[in-house]
Amino acid sequence: MKPLWENYFNKNKTHNPVILSLKTIPIFEDLTSNEFEEISRLVHKRNYKKGEIIFKKNSPGEGMYIIISGSVNIIDPDSETVFASLSNNNFFGEMALLDEEPRSAQAIAVTPSDLIGFFRTDMKSLISRFPDMGNKILLNLSQVLAERLREANILLQEKSN
Amino acid sequence: MDASIKIYRLLSGIIIATVSWLLLPYISPVLIMLVLAFIFTSIFLPAVDLLERRIRNRSLSVFIIVGTCIISIIWFVGSFMSNLGLQIKIFSDKLQQEEFSNSLISLWEKIQIMVPDFLINLIPESSYIINSLQGKLSNIFQNILGVLSTTGNIFFILTMTLIFSVIVLVEYYSFKRSIVRFIPNKYFEIGLRLIYNVEQQVSKFLMGQLLAAFTVALLSTIGLFILNQMGANLTLIIFIGIIAGFANLIPMVGPFVGMIPAILIAIMNNLGNNTAMGHYLLGTVPSPFFILDIILMFIIVQQIDNNFVTPIVVGESTGLHPMLVMIALLIGGTLMGPLGMLFAVPAAGIIKVVIQEISFISQNSHLL
Repeated sequence: MKPLWENYFNKNKTHNPVILSLKTIPIFEDLTSNEFEEISRLVHKRNYKKGEIIFKKNSPGEGMYIIISGSVNIIDPDSETVFASLSNNNFFGEMALLDEEPRSAQAIAVTPSDLIGFFRTDMKSLISRFPDMGNKILLNLSQVLAERLREANILLQEKSN
Repeated sequence: MDASIKIYRLLSGIIIATVSWLLLPYISPVLIMLVLAFIFTSIFLPAVDLLERRIRNRSLSVFIIVGTCIISIIWFVGSFMSNLGLQIKIFSDKLQQEEFSNSLISLWEKIQIMVPDFLINLIPESSYIINSLQGKLSNIFQNILGVLSTTGNIFFILTMTLIFSVIVLVEYYSFKRSIVRFIPNKYFEIGLRLIYNVEQQVSKFLMGQLLAAFTVALLSTIGLFILNQMGANLTLIIFIGIIAGFANLIPMVGPFVGMIPAILIAIMNNLGNNTAMGHYLLGTVPSPFFILDIILMFIIVQQIDNNFVTPIVVGESTGLHPMLVMIALLIGGTLMGPLGMLFAVPAAGIIKVVIQEISFISQNSHLL
């Protein structure tokens, strides 16, 4: 029989795959265990078959996806260019959390994949119910987007040189 | 799509529709409870979310909000019934008195003088009114008992609805997630968008309606208070105001329903009072028992509500054409009576949002 204190000190160590995946994503950095529990009750776990389209280019964006297992390609369906190949604990579509602009690329499951969907409507309800947590997520999201912008600027500079 | 699959789907659809139609009479009370629970949940949800933000406990938030509402409703109905009982008792005592019969006869004579000749035949004889009133009021308590037994069923539906609402409020987000789990991947994002838009539309509409009802209740109470200062001798003004506010939730018909209790109480309280009987609206138009004053006051309140309050708080939330509102009211009234009329416009609003979203989906179907 395990000692009582072992269970007590281990109680924050979750084995929930959704929470474990969320913890690896920079957008959910600095959240407490309770906040992760709350988000895990809000997000949507989805399974995609091999070759199934997750979203199409130009469709209205509703939110981001996090890969728990499997792999996803982000492609341009017209030129069939692969922009990125993503696997476990990668995320994509995060810009749709902020605006309703059409998706700029298509996401397709390359292998059978388990994804977590975190959508704008979920984020809105999170912000209205738990403003502290909503603020943390928004700040992290803006940091991620700022980082992307900086990288894009460097790439542009390199190209112009 | 293969033709056989199409036929199979069509046949399945017809079978499901027929079975649903046959089961409808048995499951309609449950459906009513679920629809009511959905509406109550939409009303309470913003308040529960707001309280949860402060006390960080959802179950306790639901308990506090729903508990406060139940206590308020019980207090309102209880005190209204006891005051109304008192009012009816005083009036029925009055009715048995000889003096009352005389004052009703003199009222009838006065009306005869004022009304044009061709309308006189339409007004019943005063003796007929007295006899029928005495007969009817002596049975009023028996009637109340009859009403109570029929409200037993309504009480059961409301209790069950309340239980459903509490469960849905506590588990709202998990419940919603369980429902959206069944949406296929292809329609998942658009499904979420549809649910969110319907939710927003209903919540905005209901909150706006409640705010407008509160304003009408407040303005009506103030108006009745002012009429009392002018000698209208009205009692239960807060209750009349609240009833007028709630009646206002039913478009078109509600405002007239709201006037009736005020007019009845004005007649009850002022029978035999010659000053009230010979009252003139603004000193020019004859307004026995302040009836025209009351009607004018309610019209002013309606105008304030329609032109200032509703456009601001409700806005174009439903954006339904008045003709559609009328049709929705008629359908609601035919199907479920006054309760149906109350829910007809929000239901029509939901259908409108769903149709809008479906047309959006069909326009963008190539993107799914």
